[in-house]
Amino acid sequence: MFEKREQLLALLSSSGAELVNPATLLPASDYFDLAGEEFGRHLLLTEGADGVKYCLRPDFTLPIARQYIKSASYSPASLSYLGPVFRQRADGPSEFEQAGLELIAQENADAALYQVFDFVREGLEVFAIESPSIRIGCVALFEELLEKLDMPDVWKPRLRRRFGSSTAMENLLQRLSMPQNSIQQSISFKKTREQLIEQITQTMLDDGLSLIEGRLPEEIAERFLEKQALAAAKVPEKSVALLRDYLAISDEPETALNSAEKLFGDTNLSLESQLNILRQQAKELSNRFPNSPIKLDLSFSPRLHYYTGLVFELAETSGKTIASGGQYDRLLQALGASKQVSASGGALWVNRLEEGADK
Amino acid sequence: MSELVLAVPSKGRLEEQTRIAFAKAGMNIKRPGGARSYQGEIAGNSEIIIRFLSAGEIARELIRGNLHLGVTGADLIYEAAENGAEMVDFAVPLDFGQADVVIAVPNAWIDVSRMHDLSDVAADFSSNRDRWLRVATKYINLTRRYFARYGIAEYRIVESLGATEAAPATGAADLIVDITSTGSTLKANGLKILEDGIILKSQANLIISKTAPLDSDQLKQIAKILAVFGV
Repeated sequence: MFEKREQLLALLSSSGAELVNPATLLPASDYFDLAGEEFGRHLLLTEGADGVKYCLRPDFTLPIARQYIKSASYSPASLSYLGPVFRQRADGPSEFEQAGLELIAQENADAALYQVFDFVREGLEVFAIESPSIRIGCVALFEELLEKLDMPDVWKPRLRRRFGSSTAMENLLQRLSMPQNSIQQSISFKKTREQLIEQITQTMLDDGLSLIEGRLPEEIAERFLEKQALAAAKVPEKSVALLRDYLAISDEPETALNSAEKLFGDTNLSLESQLNILRQQAKELSNRFPNSPIKLDLSFSPRLHYYTGLVFELAETSGKTIASGGQYDRLLQALGASKQVSASGGALWVNRLEEGADK
Repeated sequence: MSELVLAVPSKGRLEEQTRIAFAKAGMNIKRPGGARSYQGEIAGNSEIIIRFLSAGEIARELIRGNLHLGVTGADLIYEAAENGAEMVDFAVPLDFGQADVVIAVPNAWIDVSRMHDLSDVAADFSSNRDRWLRVATKYINLTRRYFARYGIAEYRIVESLGATEAAPATGAADLIVDITSTGSTLKANGLKILEDGIILKSQANLIISKTAPLDSDQLKQIAKILAVFGV
């Protein structure tokens, strides 16, 4: 076991990576601000004497990204880590180890992703795992599809927000394919935008609500009108059907990409360049794991807004995740960086790898 | 042999109505030391010890297995721990203490009447601003579970331990999850309940802990009590 640990440590400082060790106790607000209540429920929380909430480190990516932003130089960085993370699970709090690599602001973002693939492969090799099953997804392709899809713009960010959660996505798609009259029933009167704003403003004032803090009267009026507009001109059935078909594609990468290509071709959508990027990424991955079953699942993504490109997850035979990662070009900006900074990374679930190696 | 520990709310209407419900079933709850005492008994039954505790404490201790059974609100069990409801058996609904845990939004939100509206608003809100939609509540577990069921992820909870209904007006939150029996407090604060925004219909229950160890005598006692309640 010691030998494996040493090999892992050697890997973490190879190819110029700097092994870093962020704090175990972190301000919880960073995680809540970034990922909301859904992620927040998995934090192990504690409170300072002043009422400020802290959490035990649930992952390394966020504190490492924070530290990087503080340096403010935005020069290429290759940062690695090994240590415990803490999460609230259904059966109680748990502590486990993660080892990983973060590649930030690299000149060639795709080369950085492939370097992460290399890291994951070499990490698994330490534990003699050669053919894990691999699942990949692509945020960029979904985002470009949304952009080009024929539907009112208001729905696009909402669909994007639900990408990665099959329940949330299905709820919305069902609503979008609802027959018109059932929506129309809920709308009983017609007013102009100005009349609505006036009415809403008056209600807010009467009820003592701030006119600037929360949802604005204009926002409410616009969404109200949009609901009416949807009843009159809803999202084209074809677009909803296309989304459903797209999200259902889950297959060996080449087959999945061909299905997607055919789907786009049938509806005259051109996403050729994004498809080619994904095709190349999948090829690079399968070159590194020639014996692994790889599945491209076009609905797969963490439901976190900062993921941007490829996302991946590797599992052992029992189905437990042993490595995961992807590209998250929006993370640093979301944490306060002054511009978008490309980033990709991968984490190994060390305990599970060690358990597997023991057998 | 060891006695069975039954917890009863220590004050107010809940205590009163628990006494009435038990008296109807032929069990008279006695509190020999008066309202300041925390121990009691059931007249003519030395095998049961009554403990007078706050309703919230009863929920917590039933889940932990430090009480065998007790009377408290279902909402408190759901809220005391994320898996609280799995740790107990809601044996007898007692037909008092009725109240609903609901989602309420400002009346001014004329575009929001159902959960799916809220899910659009939450997504739009976090896309347009550098903060999340905020929900004031003391029902953190119930809120998280209900929002997750509707696939809503873009919100944050602001913990509120009193006067939750005032949170939208004070600017502490955008909407609330709170308990209400008539809805009048919500109305007075310019709030409306979403059509599908009833998270839990709660009432007082006689609840059995699944985590407290029970010997055969205690099991017999429980069976007797349930029998008089007609279960």
